[in-house]
Amino acid sequence: MATQVFKIPKSLKENMKYSFCPGCDHGVAVRLVAEVLDELDIQDRSVLIASIGCSVTAYDFLDVDSVEAPHGRALAVGTGVKRAKPNQVVFSYQGDGDFASIGLAESLHAALRGEKLTAICINNTTYGMTGGQLGPTTLLGQKTTTSTMGRNVEYYGYPIKIAEHVALCDGTAYAARVSLDTVANIRKAKQAIKKAFEVQLNGLGFGFVEILATCPTNWRMTPEQAHERVRKEMMKHYVPGVYKDITETK
Amino acid sequence: MITEDITNKKVLSKGNYAIAKASILAGCDCYFGYPITPQSEIGEYMSGKMQELGRAYVSAESELAAISMTLGACSTGVKAMTSSSSCAVALMQETLSYATADELPLVLISVMRGGPGLGNIYPSQGDYFQATKGGGNGDYKLIVLAPSNVQECVDLTYKAFHLAHKYRNPTVLLADGLLGQMMEPVEFKPYPYAEIDNSDWALTGAKNRKSRVIRSYAPLADNQCKFVEKLFEKYKTIEENETEWEEMGTEDADIILVSFGSTSRNVKTAMKLCREKGLKVGFFRPITLFPFPNKRLNELASKVKKFITVEVNMGQMINDVKLAVNGKASVELIHKAVGAPPSPEEIQSQVEELI
Ligand SMILES: Cc1ncc(C[n+]2csc(CCOP(=O)(O)OP(=O)(O)O)c2C)c(N)n1
Ligand code: SF4
Repeated sequence: MATQVFKIPKSLKENMKYSFCPGCDHGVAVRLVAEVLDELDIQDRSVLIASIGCSVTAYDFLDVDSVEAPHGRALAVGTGVKRAKPNQVVFSYQGDGDFASIGLAESLHAALRGEKLTAICINNTTYGMTGGQLGPTTLLGQKTTTSTMGRNVEYYGYPIKIAEHVALCDGTAYAARVSLDTVANIRKAKQAIKKAFEVQLNGLGFGFVEILATCPTNWRMTPEQAHERVRKEMMKHYVPGVYKDITETK
Repeated sequence: MITEDITNKKVLSKGNYAIAKASILAGCDCYFGYPITPQSEIGEYMSGKMQELGRAYVSAESELAAISMTLGACSTGVKAMTSSSSCAVALMQETLSYATADELPLVLISVMRGGPGLGNIYPSQGDYFQATKGGGNGDYKLIVLAPSNVQECVDLTYKAFHLAHKYRNPTVLLADGLLGQMMEPVEFKPYPYAEIDNSDWALTGAKNRKSRVIRSYAPLADNQCKFVEKLFEKYKTIEENETEWEEMGTEDADIILVSFGSTSRNVKTAMKLCREKGLKVGFFRPITLFPFPNKRLNELASKVKKFITVEVNMGQMINDVKLAVNGKASVELIHKAVGAPPSPEEIQSQVEELI
């Protein structure tokens, strides 16, 4: 007898039009979020905070109530939703520029306040939507449209290790960094996303996952080359792992 | 409903506390704020009262955050507000633009102080443009209500919540440092408006219904045109239904003094002083700054020779009066840049000079 082994998650919209570039990891990340919403059975009580960036179109895919935040303000908007409706599950889907550059204050203060929110942050070492400029996570030496000779410290300073910073906040219950470069790592990523929702559901505090992701378009690479770059360059500086988990018994 | 603050007689209250108490009585579910003089008493009052009542309160990390939190809360359909002043309201402009595009019932209490820049904490009406023309991007309008005494701080706070929800449009109570800091007798009556149903748009989780998206991003030019045009149809309805003003002695006037907010009090007295001297002077006070009473001013312009606006700024509302009058009468200005409004006597003597 035939068994179905793969299907579209219930939490994805029907008839959605795929709008990310071919081979972009945003697609994988959004799908993982949908699978987690299904598994935790929280689709009908979740609110997505969409951020400005390629990430904004998450509301075209995820079949949940959604509100769009001004660039960088996602976790302030999320705070407003959660404080108004504490029984809703509230999560943001943000780029690294949104989370860690223009929105760094909102992001860290949400974590410091221990808001019962889940934040998913896509680290692709660039501002994707605006055409691949230097962002807060652009690696030293990396060439972008605003660092054509490569990022140097003198002009641009250092890239930020987001998960480590979030883990330092006392209100953070869970902070992890994952990648999507292999099937095994995609599985781990899903577990991390699930955990970041569970700490919210259990009222423990702020849940955070930084996802190392590709931007083949702006990196001028094929999807394979892009994943190779994630492994060879990004994972060296941005080491995957769980940086804080208050549910872990030592 | 909270009844302890409802009074059947007048009590003495500072403007800022009156606004805060009125918002509690209006059923404000969520308050988000960041301190700035001369409105800090609002946040101070709310911090204690909201916790006591089990409602939402956040000491935000900035005004960028405070107004964005308010936007988030509003998206769930609850009554939510923030309060601030001048240079800090400047920081809120981007989110105000988003909130109009998102059609959210956001309430902002703006208590004006001296500017530009950090300026000072003296009263001022220098943010008439900021409130009515906006510093945010795109074609949009905020509903703007201008109280002239502490009682109106209460009544118009109620109205701000009502109109914000009725039209799903951000609404500003535009007070100033004078109103915020002064004490006056005031009565707190119960919130007079019926609650407005928001079950067809509020984000409450997509349970047994389709999911909803509150967004301003419209990648296609056509969609954006249609959306903005629809928004402006709503503004037209607001103009038709909600324009409010006060007028006195306009029946036989040759000259009409136009003034809003706290400044209008001395202007009203000045008008009476002018009348005592036999000058045919009338008084006109826009209460809603958007919608502005264009139609009524234009009607009056057919009968009078001159309008004189009296403002504590370098002349901002005068532009709207000129547009309303549309060349039918001359429009002049009595003003000072910042500080307490000119006294009735000063206004009266300047009126005589302008005749
Ligand atoms: C206040 C503001 N500044 C700048 C922009 C332009 N802008 C849109 S998206 C974006 C960058 C987004 O980058 P990131 O957050 O890394 O997300 P990605 O597109 O890479 O997913 C910028 C700068 C804007 N919309 N608003
Ligand atoms: S620009 Fe980059 S991040 Fe944006 S959709 Fe394309 S590949 Fe993905």
